[in-house]
Amino acid sequence: MNLLELKNVRKHFGGIKAIENFSLNVGEREIVGLIGPNGAGKSTLFNCVAGVFPPTFGDILFQGDRINRQKPWDLCRKGLARTFQIVKPFASRTVLYNVMVGAFAGTDKRAEAERRARAVLEQLNLGHLADQRAGNLTIADRKRLEIAKALATRPRLLLLDEVMAGLRPTEVDEMVAIIKRLREGGMTVFVIEHIMRAIMALSDRVAVLHFGVKIAEGTPQEVAHDERVIKAYLGDEYAAA
Amino acid sequence: MSPSLARKLPLVLAAIVALALPLVLRSPTYLHILILLYLYAYLTTSWNLVGGFAGVLPLGHATFVGIGAYTSTILSLQYGISPWIGMLVGAVLASIVGVIIGLPTFKMRGAYFALATIAFAEGIRVMTENIDTLGPFQINGPRGLQIPPLTTGFASFMFATKEPYYYIILAMLAGVLALTWFISRSKLGYYLVAGGEEPEAAQALGVNVARAKLIAMAMSSFLTAFAGTFWAQFTLYIHPKSVMSLDISFEIAFIALIGGRGSIAGPVLGALLLRPVGDFSRIYFGDTVPGLHLIIFGVVLILVMFFQPRGLQEPLTRIYTRVVDRLAGVREAA
Repeated sequence: MNLLELKNVRKHFGGIKAIENFSLNVGEREIVGLIGPNGAGKSTLFNCVAGVFPPTFGDILFQGDRINRQKPWDLCRKGLARTFQIVKPFASRTVLYNVMVGAFAGTDKRAEAERRARAVLEQLNLGHLADQRAGNLTIADRKRLEIAKALATRPRLLLLDEVMAGLRPTEVDEMVAIIKRLREGGMTVFVIEHIMRAIMALSDRVAVLHFGVKIAEGTPQEVAHDERVIKAYLGDEYAAA
Repeated sequence: MSPSLARKLPLVLAAIVALALPLVLRSPTYLHILILLYLYAYLTTSWNLVGGFAGVLPLGHATFVGIGAYTSTILSLQYGISPWIGMLVGAVLASIVGVIIGLPTFKMRGAYFALATIAFAEGIRVMTENIDTLGPFQINGPRGLQIPPLTTGFASFMFATKEPYYYIILAMLAGVLALTWFISRSKLGYYLVAGGEEPEAAQALGVNVARAKLIAMAMSSFLTAFAGTFWAQFTLYIHPKSVMSLDISFEIAFIALIGGRGSIAGPVLGALLLRPVGDFSRIYFGDTVPGLHLIIFGVVLILVMFFQPRGLQEPLTRIYTRVVDRLAGVREAA
């Protein structure tokens, strides 16, 4: 069964067509990557799915329900969590506090929220930072905190928006391992990423967005050898090579 | 002695001192100053639910003081209803008005929100000043309402001495502090902080930010109205300038900003620091340099914002725990 279905999704901002007729299915326990050059519309698509704004046309289905106009907080409670490309920690509070905000989505009890939050922190190797102020973290830890907050809501589908940008290669490998472990635990992941090495290692399937249009979809290998994709990324002169 | 116990001990001592103070302090002037200090600590703590935890800067809380004062006073003057019941009615009314003000204004950010709340508060004050009767209710416009001190006693919320007022406001302050502590550790508290700091991120984590803020506003205005009734019963004379003026709203914000918004100790520390400065400058310089306390407030605020933008609560808490820990450590060694 498809956990997430996008059917002919379009998003227009006035005269700007940010996304044109985008269709994609994300199956249960799949890791699907979404790549594309800067400004292709990847984050806009995520915002449509996460309820920040509704698509102009088309349908978005989550667990079979149409979620076009639902609000982010309601979607979160249904099991759809996301991270932000520009990380948004609650900077003045501790790491544990940050993650507990997410954990409260599933419980009203403080003790239970703290238990869940600590479990997620351990899972992401952030346990030793629980009492640090979120504003003091390094960028790699902030990115992991971003995932921890989303995970604490206990989602079925996780939308990751460039969680590896700005990380060192070893940190990227660590992050890839973390995401793979999540999938083994039953999670479905829809990920935007720029780092090709990571997306190739992670994804079961990759969709490529270019100027709001999906120009390719397939396994990482298929996509990497697709002429249109190479053109979109590197320009026409590289296509022959 | 364990450190956590040692840290609580001075607080217990402070509570005992606060309870015993009227037995030692016979001067009504000093009691009056203390009562106002507690009143402002209470007001600021109530304000803090919105202005501190929810991260917005409401500058119109005097409205709720006014609603509380007028409601209980009108009900007792015209219908003979006990101010204690009027206090509750006023609080319910204030929280309804609070939500009505919050609905459109919480969509605004930063200074726009602050300005909108000022506009609401001033609008309501000017209207009150220009209304003599509202339906069956006698408001008396700018002349205000006088409460004749006929029967003193607990039931009528009127006392010949200051001591009962002292204990009532002390109990109110303790209550509101306990409530704030409880909320800050609850789901609502986490949601308010999250929504105040990063609304988009909070929403993505399942927080209905607008709803959390409205709940906080309803609670804050409810509690603020209690202070209005207390003020009316304490002074036995209210008029729009005394219970609805911007000065009250601003002083609350001053105290909160200097003490530390969004913390439990902040409003109390702010009131402890600022109220005596205000009162003593009024006592000693009131004739020669009127308004001196406002200048002092301004200077203190600038200095605090410059050196401790998160309020004095942070460095003071640090010093406090260090001193207490050291004292406890010394005691252990001896």
